[in-house]
Amino acid sequence: MKADGGIGRRALLAAAAVLPFGAAAGAKAAMRAATLDWAVLETLLALGHPPVAATELVQFREVAVEPPMPDSVADLGLRGLPNLETLLFARPDIIFNSNFYVALEPRLAAIAPVESFTLYRPGHSPYDPVIAMTRRVAERLGIGDAADALVGRTDAGFAQARRRLEGLGRPVLPINLGDARHFRVFGFDSMIGETLQRIGLQNAWAEATSYSAAAPLGLETLARHGEAWIAVIGPVPPDATPVLRRSAFWQALPAVKAGRVVWLDPIDPFGALPSARRFARLLTEALVEARGRG
Amino acid sequence: MADRLLRRRWIGCALVVALALLATLASRPVVPGLDEVMLWQVELPRATVALLAGAALGLSGALLQRVLRNPIADASTLGIASGAQLALTVALAYAPALLGAGREVVALTGGTAAAAVVLALGWRRGLDPVTVVLSGMMISLLAGALSATLVLARGDYVLSLFIWGAGALDQQDWSSARTLGIRLLLGLAASAVIVRPLILLGLDDAGSRSLGLRLLATRLAATAIAVWLAATVTAEVGIIAFVGLAAPAFAGFMGARTTRQILFAAPLAGALILSFTDSVVQLGGWQGRDLAPTGAATALLGGPLLLLLLSRVPAGGPHRHPAAALAPRRLRRPWLGLGLLGLGTLLAMAATLCIGRSAEGWHVATGGPFMELLPLRWPRLVAAGSAGMMLATAGLILQRMTGNPMASPEVLGVSAGSGVGLAVLLLAGGASGPWLLAGMVAGALAVLGLMLAITARSGLGPERLLLAGVACGALCMAILSVVLSSGGMAAYSLLVWMSGSTNRVGAFEALTALGGTLVLVVPAWLLTRWLSVLPLGPDASRSVGIPVRRARLALALLAAALTAMASFAVGPLSLIGLMAPHLARLAGFARAREQLAAALLIGALLLIVADWLARLVVFPYQMPTGLFAALIGVPYLIWLLNRTGERRSR
Repeated sequence: MKADGGIGRRALLAAAAVLPFGAAAGAKAAMRAATLDWAVLETLLALGHPPVAATELVQFREVAVEPPMPDSVADLGLRGLPNLETLLFARPDIIFNSNFYVALEPRLAAIAPVESFTLYRPGHSPYDPVIAMTRRVAERLGIGDAADALVGRTDAGFAQARRRLEGLGRPVLPINLGDARHFRVFGFDSMIGETLQRIGLQNAWAEATSYSAAAPLGLETLARHGEAWIAVIGPVPPDATPVLRRSAFWQALPAVKAGRVVWLDPIDPFGALPSARRFARLLTEALVEARGRG
Repeated sequence: MADRLLRRRWIGCALVVALALLATLASRPVVPGLDEVMLWQVELPRATVALLAGAALGLSGALLQRVLRNPIADASTLGIASGAQLALTVALAYAPALLGAGREVVALTGGTAAAAVVLALGWRRGLDPVTVVLSGMMISLLAGALSATLVLARGDYVLSLFIWGAGALDQQDWSSARTLGIRLLLGLAASAVIVRPLILLGLDDAGSRSLGLRLLATRLAATAIAVWLAATVTAEVGIIAFVGLAAPAFAGFMGARTTRQILFAAPLAGALILSFTDSVVQLGGWQGRDLAPTGAATALLGGPLLLLLLSRVPAGGPHRHPAAALAPRRLRRPWLGLGLLGLGTLLAMAATLCIGRSAEGWHVATGGPFMELLPLRWPRLVAAGSAGMMLATAGLILQRMTGNPMASPEVLGVSAGSGVGLAVLLLAGGASGPWLLAGMVAGALAVLGLMLAITARSGLGPERLLLAGVACGALCMAILSVVLSSGGMAAYSLLVWMSGSTNRVGAFEALTALGGTLVLVVPAWLLTRWLSVLPLGPDASRSVGIPVRRARLALALLAAALTAMASFAVGPLSLIGLMAPHLARLAGFARAREQLAAALLIGALLLIVADWLARLVVFPYQMPTGLFAALIGVPYLIWLLNRTGERRSR
């Protein structure tokens, strides 16, 4: 109950933060930002400075869910194939890019100055790069205070989650299901892994993240992590759940037998601070509820 | 005597496979408390599924090769796997509730639909092997392009399709094994019923008809069984490349000669191949992670295996493809036709530069906005046009050189080879334009060199060249899908490249492509004499003084360079290489030089229009250019094929 109240209040605060800024924008001729990267996109939204154009907004609203996106943002289409003409007509003053779309950089630079970030690299923690990106983006837009506030809000969210999860002895295995037989797992070199550590939980997966859109691990790998909680991060493929219910192997897993599986709403696993905070909140709620049941 | 030797060969192979399987089971990860479940619900079902799926694919391939009388026919040539994959992607994206009824049912529907379309297209021509395979490859490319688009469009949501595309055998219960086992038994029984008419199919069409054989019914029945088996396998475990192709060949190597022997040895060979591959993949992996998806690994192992077998396949007689049947009447005034084509191309270029779409709607850009949009639009136009011309030339060279209407840069394996070159450079750490180009040319030439080395001994006969190309191409695609499934930056860049869009092309890339076109198309133009004589066969060519081997080598090198350059600009859009020369010929441009000129214009026109539509149709989202090339070209080609059929039947 308490958590629900919290969301409402935060949403209100976020809305309040956007409004005065929008009013001031006309006067100060605020920088028009555009981005191809979802991590930057959610950071811009959370900073209260929505971009004029960004990619794959339909999918973003489904997978990343928050922060809410104003209708004024132009959809550039696919992240890998952004519509450069739309980007041109959005008249950005600056384009924020990431290492994933670096091949497009010469095309982007012809439209507006480009500032690129490397947030996700296999084997490297994305946390410090994300903080640096948050501050750098805010600085470029002349809203440095908003970055401090966002980092502060995120830390506060982590602290609250840590308090509520105290005494949860078992590690957590954060996964995405690809289908009923495969999953991908998030290690120390992901925001999910970093968040676990920051809310006082141990990541059951000690290795690097299985990067990419592929889910390369067979479900039998889970047998090794009998002691852990399994946190299934949405979206879950629609046909996976009925197959898992029938699977003799899934039912035999200690975590499943003991009811130590939590199903979370969709989260962008390659996001920035807002996604990290969303993960912390959803995981905490699910674990507290599951513990209460058990 | 010979029998005993052959039996010993089979037993030896089976022993090796069994040992590998035992080693895999013995080295399975130790999981306290779950050991029994791991063995009975994970390891043993997987081993069983490998054997059953391999057998089903082997039978399916043997049937298809028999029916189509084509040694490189298998489930993928009929578009079954791609069709199934497309159905899954569509269901996942637009009707996830359908998947509740079962992933298997959806995949089966897609595979069957693809095969049905292919067969319907070939129906009017009495399921003529060439027409069927040609349509099958068209549908397969179309379905593959659509699937890739949806993967890109839906992002994370189609996570599972990556696994699916690469074919993984992981199991957690016996349901797949049960399904596959039942279908395999039914398939074997049905094959036993039709084995006698199938034997008669070996005779040529006229001969078997005179024997009173119900030709069409037998072909349909055999095809239905093959499609059914392949679709089931694809539905249960994903795309397992090459087993359907390799198993009958392997069976032949092991001594199977008659239709009856091959039909029952191929499933055995398929089971052994897939089981062995799956064991190797598991033994080579670590921490419960496989070395590579099994489906990709079969192609890694199967490609080289087939290349080795190639040298043992007895050289066939002067077997002529019934491709000549597709030749329509000649144009009386070809240069008028060329003029019209050129005019059309110019109009398309003007439209591409002026007409666009923005959030406010459609617009014709003039004046200021035109000048502003020009730097974004002209490089795409030039790159698309150049790539179209290069692919058309490459396709024309390959089709004339091999005398095989299915030859195209993709069949030769050159597109995929340049992709491997790209992947290597991407994995080695970010490289920029010129380096990537160098890598792709190197990859394309490496594939070609390998092919030439393997087929050199036999004098590079058309069938061998084609078969070697298919094997090399599959090997490269396997490497690419391993890279794709390993994920990361390289995988992402590779996926974008494979979807084939001109979005990344700037002035430098566009001018490089144009320069490459000029440098490479001129020699092709000068070599048209070779191109007109070579299809008549090596003896005829030699008699008019053409150095056959050297001519073929030079032409192959030219085709490889053309393909690499085109791939660099717009991704592996090999469909153009297959279509443009065809369309030119079917439109009545018969002489080599006329056909080349027409193919150049058609290739450029197709890619320019495709690129333009790709930018506009689902605005602001952009579709891959290759997809649109296929969407325009395939219906036209099918219409032309049917038109030709009508005239012949009169």
